[in-house]
Amino acid sequence: MSRLLSSLRDGKGFDIVLVAVPLAFLLVFSGLPLIYNVVMSFQAVDMFSLGTFNRPWVGFKNYVDVFSLPATWPIMRNTVIFVVCSIAGQFVIGFALALFFARGFPGSSYIRGLFLASWVMPGLVVGAMWNWILAGDFGVLNYALRSLGIISENIFWASNPAWSLWAVIVANIWLGISFNMILLSVGLAAIPRDLYEAAALDGANGLQKFWTITLPMMRSTIGAVISLGLIFTLQQFDLFASITSGGPANSSNVAQYWAWEMSFRQYDFAKGATISVVMIAVVMIASVIYVRSTRHEVRG
Amino acid sequence: MSIAWTNRMLLLVALGLAALYLFPLYWMYVTSLKTGSEIFATPPGMFPASPQWSNFVYVWETRNMGRFLWNSTIIASGTMALTAILGTGCAYVLARYRNGWIDLALFLVLMLQVLPASLMITPIFVGFSQIGLLNYPQLAVILAVTAKAMPFFVVLVRATFMSVPGELEEAALVDGNSRIGAFWFIVLPLARNGILVSAILIFMQAFGEFVYSKSMIQASELQPASVGLNTFMGPNTTEWGNIMAYATIYVTPILAAFVLLQRRIVSGLTSGALK
Amino acid sequence: MKTIKSLMGSGTLAVSLFALTSMASAQHIVVWSLDKEHQPAYNLAREFHDLDNGITVEYREVHFEDVVSESMRAFATGQAPDIIAIDNPEHALFAARGAFLDITDMVAASDVIDPDNYFPGPLNSVSWEGKLYGLPKATNTIALYYNKDMFAAKGLDPESPPATWEELVEAARTLNDPENNVYGIAFSARASEEGTFQFLPWAQMAGGGYENLNAPGVVEALDIWKLFIDERLASPDTLTRGQWTSTGTFNAGNAAMAISGPWELNRMVEEAQFDWGVALLPVPGEDAERSSAMGDFNWAIFSTSKNPEAAFKALEYFASQDHRLFPEWGQLPARSDVELPETGEPLKDAALKVFLEQLQYAQARGPHPEWPRISKAIQDAIQSALTGQATTQAALDQAASTIQGILGN
Repeated sequence: MSRLLSSLRDGKGFDIVLVAVPLAFLLVFSGLPLIYNVVMSFQAVDMFSLGTFNRPWVGFKNYVDVFSLPATWPIMRNTVIFVVCSIAGQFVIGFALALFFARGFPGSSYIRGLFLASWVMPGLVVGAMWNWILAGDFGVLNYALRSLGIISENIFWASNPAWSLWAVIVANIWLGISFNMILLSVGLAAIPRDLYEAAALDGANGLQKFWTITLPMMRSTIGAVISLGLIFTLQQFDLFASITSGGPANSSNVAQYWAWEMSFRQYDFAKGATISVVMIAVVMIASVIYVRSTRHEVRG
Repeated sequence: MSIAWTNRMLLLVALGLAALYLFPLYWMYVTSLKTGSEIFATPPGMFPASPQWSNFVYVWETRNMGRFLWNSTIIASGTMALTAILGTGCAYVLARYRNGWIDLALFLVLMLQVLPASLMITPIFVGFSQIGLLNYPQLAVILAVTAKAMPFFVVLVRATFMSVPGELEEAALVDGNSRIGAFWFIVLPLARNGILVSAILIFMQAFGEFVYSKSMIQASELQPASVGLNTFMGPNTTEWGNIMAYATIYVTPILAAFVLLQRRIVSGLTSGALK
Repeated sequence: MKTIKSLMGSGTLAVSLFALTSMASAQHIVVWSLDKEHQPAYNLAREFHDLDNGITVEYREVHFEDVVSESMRAFATGQAPDIIAIDNPEHALFAARGAFLDITDMVAASDVIDPDNYFPGPLNSVSWEGKLYGLPKATNTIALYYNKDMFAAKGLDPESPPATWEELVEAARTLNDPENNVYGIAFSARASEEGTFQFLPWAQMAGGGYENLNAPGVVEALDIWKLFIDERLASPDTLTRGQWTSTGTFNAGNAAMAISGPWELNRMVEEAQFDWGVALLPVPGEDAERSSAMGDFNWAIFSTSKNPEAAFKALEYFASQDHRLFPEWGQLPARSDVELPETGEPLKDAALKVFLEQLQYAQARGPHPEWPRISKAIQDAIQSALTGQATTQAALDQAASTIQGILGN
């Protein structure tokens, strides 16, 4: 007993408790709901059996059904485009801003603070805002582009199948700039100054410093930012609901919105769950990549 | 080119970028001051013709915003506290070691949050109703939102702990501190800024939480401001000016607090513990 | 105006009070509806609560889009309300599975409710296999709004609005004026129940319907919709916005005609700065059969209700107040025995006459327990045809075969 106590106070037990409690919490409040989804994807479900696990098993039927739907592959493709372009956009812009503000000119830290505005806006408000900005006939974006002479005719961002997905991507990039910029700023600030000074003595130019010092030193931060970006992007729901509703004709539909549509518009809960399980499987792969990227971190 | 001149140029560029970025926010403010037909006018007006300041008074009075904002504050504070308590220790351990188990734990923390709240709500609702948690709806929301906010907090705070030199903790242990002592008296104070800032970021996000609150909190006197906003945002609304006034009242205090505190927040995150 | 605002303020406060005081009582019922403070269900529920008949009422407002998902979740976990207001095409989804209470006998014994007084369309939507599973709460339909000033300005006769599809297309072409940001017509082809609601009347007038979606007339109807979009006679945003927003552009003078329902009347009277009128939905040809959509919500009692008698008493009270629906809240009762008084607003009174005539041709969607899936097939066809992903014929063929599969033929 006293060994256990002392281990808790002064040994491995201490670490284990610190990790085990939050993990148990997560397993209960996030893990069980995920398992519920996985179980549902192998069952026949209707609205009246939502509250029980006691439902007929159907094996892989839901998976076969989902993958034989004509909408499936275009939506998967949209999901990939949405995720990749959103993350790339957020990351590149966020990184550029972080580097820019890292120059430390007077006022830089004040202005950098403003770039967290999209973080504090509730999703509902953000969706409504962008819905207006992107409106075809009276939207301010079209107005601005026309005034600048970039377009001659209104673009119907939300209703034109060629643009609808991009409309949501633009809004999502705006939303994600905030945390990308801040996290990357943190990473930049942690790089010791003397490394740059030494490189300058060796005659390295800005680009060389970036490639040989900044990027390698930022490795773990970049891994963290991208994996968080992946999670936030896959969780993105409000923007689809308020800008395009996944339309027209599924042209801006993505897996997470589609799964919700299946469950709560067509009340086909099993298929909705199946789509979400497929999504999780894909994300698991991505998470493995992040975890591997943390392998080579050096502690402070 | 003198340094002062370069700085001025940089400042100008920074202001330009900020203006571009903040445009949606500006648009919210402008819209809240416009009349109904002005909102849908072509071409759109960049400034309200006759600012409808009364929208704010009207919305505050008829919409019971005080109570809604108070509820949002309770939910956000609860989430922040619980996330910080559970997440800090977790982040510390995940930063301290490098092995397969740590990889697995990190992997789980991230993986479990993949689905959007709109898909998690059904199983959570069913589960919570079976263990009776729905009788304490605000607590139920806090628990669900905490689970959602955890990976962001852990990843952020873990990075902070990474920047605390391991030698300091080792020195403390050599001096006869226990693990708890070293953690509590040495490591935690050094990481304090990062933890505080991450917690504030969690607070801000939880302040706008909507999906869980909408389904789990049915009594209107317990609902947060996001649900209050939604009740008059339906498809047949005519009150866009009022809605945006509501959103403005909702967002502005937290934004203002942020702008006032931001130097500390940003430097807390960016300076690292000892740099 | 000031007093109205402060009244509304106290209303929001009161809702919490009457929810709290009611906890202790023996006969307690919970009512869910989408109605807000200025709409019927909220007020009727409060009045019934105040009647002092030993029954207390707790009212919860549920958003239009959330009614079904919230109530399914609640029903599955044994927390369903006693009474719910549900959109009529979704009624059968619950009734067919026994989630709603069969109230046929209670209605037969009632002094207040007589099924014969209800319009056949709404009554059909609360029925399943010959039994009654609820009562129509209100009803509505769609017709053609048109801007008389624009008609006059473009040399069209403001007193003879388009009566056939051909005339409608011609009028839209004449009225279309991109220079001044005016579209010929506004409607909704959104991928939601609204799109189905707007399209089915066209299909039915042309001799088709949801069971017969690729009939030649239906193809013709969808071709006309496509023409509206392709020739830019309607905004491309027709594909993504609902009826309320579309008609908003009509009110703002950015569309010369609009297809929508009587729920627009109050706002239009307030906002539209021009002379307008309402006409019956144009038909395919001179002597074609008329048809229209039937909208609005129904009342139902959940089969899990612990106080079904009290819940039914509430429904009786709601029905007994149907004569107030129109004068106080601007909704149309689904009954032929309720006289609608003149409002004193000439535009509104004239419009009301048209809507009442149009209502005679209104057809329920379904009823079918799989309606959401049927409706989805129709929406998919509309969207893929209008975006040019498939020809109208191919899109409707695809939808027809999907629907046949659902109907089990």
